[in-house]
Amino acid sequence: MSFWQKMEQIDRRWIYLAVAVAVVVPFLFPTPLPISISPEARSLYDAVEALPDGCNVMVVYDYYPATVAECEPIAVAALHHLFRKNCKVVTLTNIPYGGPSMAERVTRRMAARYGKTYGVDYVNLGFKYGYVTVLAGMGQSIESIFPTDNSGTPLSQLPLMDSVKNYSDVSFIFEVADNATADYWVSIVNAQYGVPIGCGGTAVQAPKFYAYVASGQFVGLLGGMRGAAEYEKLIGIEDVATVGMQAQSMVHLLIIGLVVLGNIGYFVVRKQSKKGAA
Amino acid sequence: MSGWEIFQLWLVAFLTLALFSFMYRDNPIYKAVEHIFAGLTVGYQIGLIWNSIILQQVWSFVLEGKGWRLIPAFFGLLMLTRLSSKLSWLSRTSLAFVMGTTAGIFLISELHGRVLPQMQDTMVPLNGGDGFGATLLSVVVVVGTLSTLVYFYFSKEHRGALGVTAKVGIWFIMIAFGAHFGYTVMGRVSLLIGRVQFLIEDWIGSFL
Amino acid sequence: MRTTIPVIVAFIAGLLVVVSFFFRDGTIVGDVKQEFLVWSSIIGGFTLLLGVVSIVRVNMATVARKKTDWPYKILTLVAIFVMGIPALFPSSWSPLLGTASGTSVYDWLFEYMQKPMMSTMFAILAFYIASAAYRAFRARSAEATLLLITAILVMLYRVPMGEAFLNMFPGNISEILNKYIMNGVNMAVQRGIIIGAALGAASMSLRIILGIERTYLGKS
Repeated sequence: MSFWQKMEQIDRRWIYLAVAVAVVVPFLFPTPLPISISPEARSLYDAVEALPDGCNVMVVYDYYPATVAECEPIAVAALHHLFRKNCKVVTLTNIPYGGPSMAERVTRRMAARYGKTYGVDYVNLGFKYGYVTVLAGMGQSIESIFPTDNSGTPLSQLPLMDSVKNYSDVSFIFEVADNATADYWVSIVNAQYGVPIGCGGTAVQAPKFYAYVASGQFVGLLGGMRGAAEYEKLIGIEDVATVGMQAQSMVHLLIIGLVVLGNIGYFVVRKQSKKGAA
Repeated sequence: MSGWEIFQLWLVAFLTLALFSFMYRDNPIYKAVEHIFAGLTVGYQIGLIWNSIILQQVWSFVLEGKGWRLIPAFFGLLMLTRLSSKLSWLSRTSLAFVMGTTAGIFLISELHGRVLPQMQDTMVPLNGGDGFGATLLSVVVVVGTLSTLVYFYFSKEHRGALGVTAKVGIWFIMIAFGAHFGYTVMGRVSLLIGRVQFLIEDWIGSFL
Repeated sequence: MRTTIPVIVAFIAGLLVVVSFFFRDGTIVGDVKQEFLVWSSIIGGFTLLLGVVSIVRVNMATVARKKTDWPYKILTLVAIFVMGIPALFPSSWSPLLGTASGTSVYDWLFEYMQKPMMSTMFAILAFYIASAAYRAFRARSAEATLLLITAILVMLYRVPMGEAFLNMFPGNISEILNKYIMNGVNMAVQRGIIIGAALGAASMSLRIILGIERTYLGKS
């Protein structure tokens, strides 16, 4: 068996080990490199920056615990920016698997950092089933869809909700999504009620959302951990996403190397087979 | 760090490494942790259904004298008849109601909120922007959108002019899918980085 | 009757929601629509319960009949009940009960067990994608070569090290890739897919409302 034939049949656990090493090494030997800001991230940042201080904003946690590594840095960076502007934040989720818990923990942690008071500066509405009906229903009345907040307190007892009755009272929606619910925020909420929406999504979803950015249905877009790192740079708080980009660089180079190596091996073996057949 | 915090940290590290052990080979610890994960996912739903739906959307209204909320709750419970082949027909009305309302929203929102705005943004002057770059971009967008739509039109055989357009569409689609693949790699790697970040910075960092 | 009544219900519900788009909020039509949406949310929410009951039933049957991996199914059932049952009781009885953040067993199990486990399960995909990149992604045709070259360029420009490498070449390659590939070709293709999918969803919705599409009702 030739060298390339052996390489083609290499135990995949060596590849797993190479990936593990490529991820771990940058944490042990950090080599920070500058991150440039994409126009889409800049556009989202500028839109949030232009919001009047103290306005009402919705932050939507439409991601599963599986994509916490990509989406939570986006949500955290968004809350840094919004709380810094003293925006009143209403959070909710359309994700039944862990969404309410993540929304509660992340928002409370960030609110505590900025000395915000629950019920006055921020409210977590929690989860209600049926994202299409929830999004459509909040256009007329948020209270009819969410009669209480996540912990069961009636909205009538929360001072913030006196001024947030439906979408017309919301100045901006910051959607953090790892699935297709972002499409419905566009088609149901932005299209009908005209509320500007900024989206932070996983890298898997991001390519699709460029179409919404181009048509103006999203004011901006943060794509995956890179998008989170860009936003962290813009708000001046370089956190987990920025640190993670170093490892991202190493693994990307490794995977590019694997693709190239795999193809070299494929063509060499194919040529050898043809020679052998001849 | 308190003893409880240390326990929590080590528990999370153990669960993470137990699941990663599958990369070497399947083993009983991985299987046990996987089954616990499945159970916790289902258990989470119990708390969610009880609080979000039954208490907040139904029972609190019944206590206020608005008993009509028991009607959708009754139809919701009929959904459980789907578990029985003899009684599953009872769930059809519940399903039909949900499907009907959702379909009603989709019928308008998909056309109004997705088709029309996307079409509107495509129907722009090709030479409307500043310079050659803007014109090229406009041409790429229009040709790309149309050829993609033609490629996914399977009601007619791709021959002649339709075939040529579909072929152009394939080229555009290959480039777009290549970009999508690049982003997908980035996405998956980010998730791994998140776990390794925890293991190195939080777990190992706590005792080194 | 078993099919006719559900089809009529779907028609009425769908028609009312469609008609309500043409009326201002606050009218009778709008109020009825709003109540329909809430009912839909409640009824649909019970499908989550369906999943719970189904999984408990299946796992209990496996344990009772001692089928393959039945000891592991006991772990699944224990996890379901340990997480679910305390959440049913009010937190006023004990801070460990209910679903309150930071104090309840329910929230603790989510934060320190379920969330890291789900994150790790999906993190494993990174290894698989690397293995697939080496073993399966072959430039067998011109189209596949185009896909791979684009993928490599995008993977480069999205990371700082790759960006620094591309900046060694003349011209702002990263900016060109973002403008003409992501906001050009990719955006155009995604737009075509969005338009196609949205038209499909709209036509399927019309078919459901009109009762032409009945597969969601199951076998008659």
